Parts: sequence; C-alpha cells; structure tokens
Amino acid sequence: MRKIAFLSLLTVVLFACGQKASKEENKSAEAPKEAVVLTVDEVLEQAPELADQQIVVKGTVFHVCQHGGQRCFLMGSTEDQSIRIEAGEKIGAFQQEQMGSELEITGILKEVKTEADAHNPGAEHGEVEHEEDAETQEAHNIIAENQAAAERVFFIEGASVKEL
Amino acid sequence: MKLRKVLRSWHRDLGYFIVGMTIVYALSGIFLNHRHDINPDYNIYTAEFTVEKGPAENFTKAKIISVMEKLPYDLKYKKHYINNDGLVKVFIESGELAINPSTGEGVLRYLERRPLIFEMNKLHKATLGTTWKWVSDLMAFILLFVAISGIFLLKGKRGFLRWGVWWLVAGFVVPLGFALILI
Repeated sequence: MRKIAFLSLLTVVLFACGQKASKEENKSAEAPKEAVVLTVDEVLEQAPELADQQIVVKGTVFHVCQHGGQRCFLMGSTEDQSIRIEAGEKIGAFQQEQMGSELEITGILKEVKTEADAHNPGAEHGEVEHEEDAETQEAHNIIAENQAAAERVFFIEGASVKEL
Repeated sequence: MKLRKVLRSWHRDLGYFIVGMTIVYALSGIFLNHRHDINPDYNIYTAEFTVEKGPAENFTKAKIISVMEKLPYDLKYKKHYINNDGLVKVFIESGELAINPSTGEGVLRYLERRPLIFEMNKLHKATLGTTWKWVSDLMAFILLFVAISGIFLLKGKRGFLRWGVWWLVAGFVVPLGFALILI
C-alpha cells in the first residue's frame, strides 16, 4: 500500500520535472524566432489582413472575466482600443491578479462570425451574471461599447501567455 | 461469487484512492453552485476613501502610492491611467482603485484568493492545461466505477434487488424531476 502512495508521488514529481523541462525547451525554441510583437492598436488596425493567422500581441489587462477567468481583455493606447483573449485549453484561465499586468499573448486572431464566437459582456455560458460590482459593470460597458463601435469584431484564441 | 469478490477489492481500493478528489469535487462544487451569489475564487473587499480634489493629471504615481499607504491591506502599485469618464483607474497587485478626481471620492477593490478553495476550483474546472484534463477524466471514471460497483457489492436483504434499487431510483428521481420541470 505504501508503494501505491509512493508511486503516485513519483508520478507527480516526474510530471512536474517534465513540465519544467518542456517550459525551458519552449523558451529556447521560441527565442530565435523573434516573432513580431504587435500592440493592441496595431492588431485592431490590421485585423482583417491578420485574421486566422498566429500573432503575438502585447497589452495591459484591463478586465478578467470573474467566473473562472476564461477570457481577459487587453487594452491598447486607450480604453476604446481593446481585444478579447480566450484562454482556451492551452492557457487554461487568466487570474484576477493579472489585471493591470502587461501580457504578451501568442494566439490565432479570429473574427466573430457566429453567436458561439461572440462574448456578450455580463453573460457567461449563456447565463446572466448577477450582482456585478461597479468596476465589473463599468468594464463590461466599455467592452460592449467597443464591440458595438467596431464594424467587425475580432478576438484571439490564446495559445500561450508571457507576463512582462 | 468470484466476480463480486474482485469487484469488492477494486471498489475498496479505488474508493480509498478517490476520497481526495471527491472532496475536491464536492467542496468546490458547492462554491461553484453559488457563483452568482459570491465570487467562488476570491474574497472581495471594498473600501471607500476620500482624497484631495484636483485635476486627474495631478494623480502621479508618487501621489497614488501615498494615498495607498493610508488604506487598509498591503497594497502594491502596478500602473494607472485616466479612463474615458475622467476617473483615475489604478491597478494594484490584487485589485484596483478608482478615484474620482473632481469629487475626491475613491473606491478600493481588494481581492484575496480563498485558501484551498481557489486551487480546488481550478482542479474542478480543469483549467490547468491538457495533462490535468486527462488525469481529471481518469478520476471521474474511477468515481463512476466506485459508484456503479457499489451497487453490486451486497447480497441478501440489504442487497441491490431487495433494498438498494429503491435508494437508487430515489437518487435518480431527484435530479431527473428537476430536469424535467425546469429544462
């Protein structure tokens, strides 16, 4: 029985070592590529041409969805310039503590074409969020206004994230 | 019967094995059920405060830090900007501040991870990447096995056919009833 407990522990330790090694490999593999890092403003300007391509974008997180952090919003030069980042399986989730942090996101730029791609601020998984605090309400208003003002709405399906 | 004996030992060992994960699923499940009433991951504290009025541009990093020093909690400045409504929005390491420079009123929103529950929620929601997703699937299958194998363990008066079946039916009726009525 002790062997089973030991085996479980060993599996976790080996997994942790594997994770560390693969992270280091990724770092060294990514470094020489030197992908062009775009600002949020640049991405929004060039979005139709960049759609469905892998891009790297840098910006300040101004909102992280409260229920699970499945998406965050990066801000450009002003609040009016923002883009939604979906964490997806690879990133997992964003943390509330990342609000105000400068993030570099690698992911695929996609256009919102169907309701499934869209994110309606204030709603998660089709449910309306209740009891929003003032800050969340304000962030949702800004996001909704930005989406309404844009002719075409784009978002990024995140693949990896780097905190700057 | 030999099959029952094998099932019993697997049920026993995997039952012990899955206790930890069952606690994770159950406890975090309660918090996630109440996600519209409370934030399941964080305790959120708010505090109102007042500062000296003045133009938004006067709120420099140094001035904001001096304001933060007078507030509760150990606040660490990240960055700030003036938003479209003219409010000074300050990002701190765990939360944010919003200051209305024309009235001098400010609000602090400070977040603190719920100890253990934060981590349990992440495990439950499988937002830890691909590997955990598969491990979590395995855990769910083990839980399923423990539940189903449990049906066949006892014989006789308190066995499945004479006793357990009614409990099993009752257990299905509750969620099924709600589903039929509400969906």
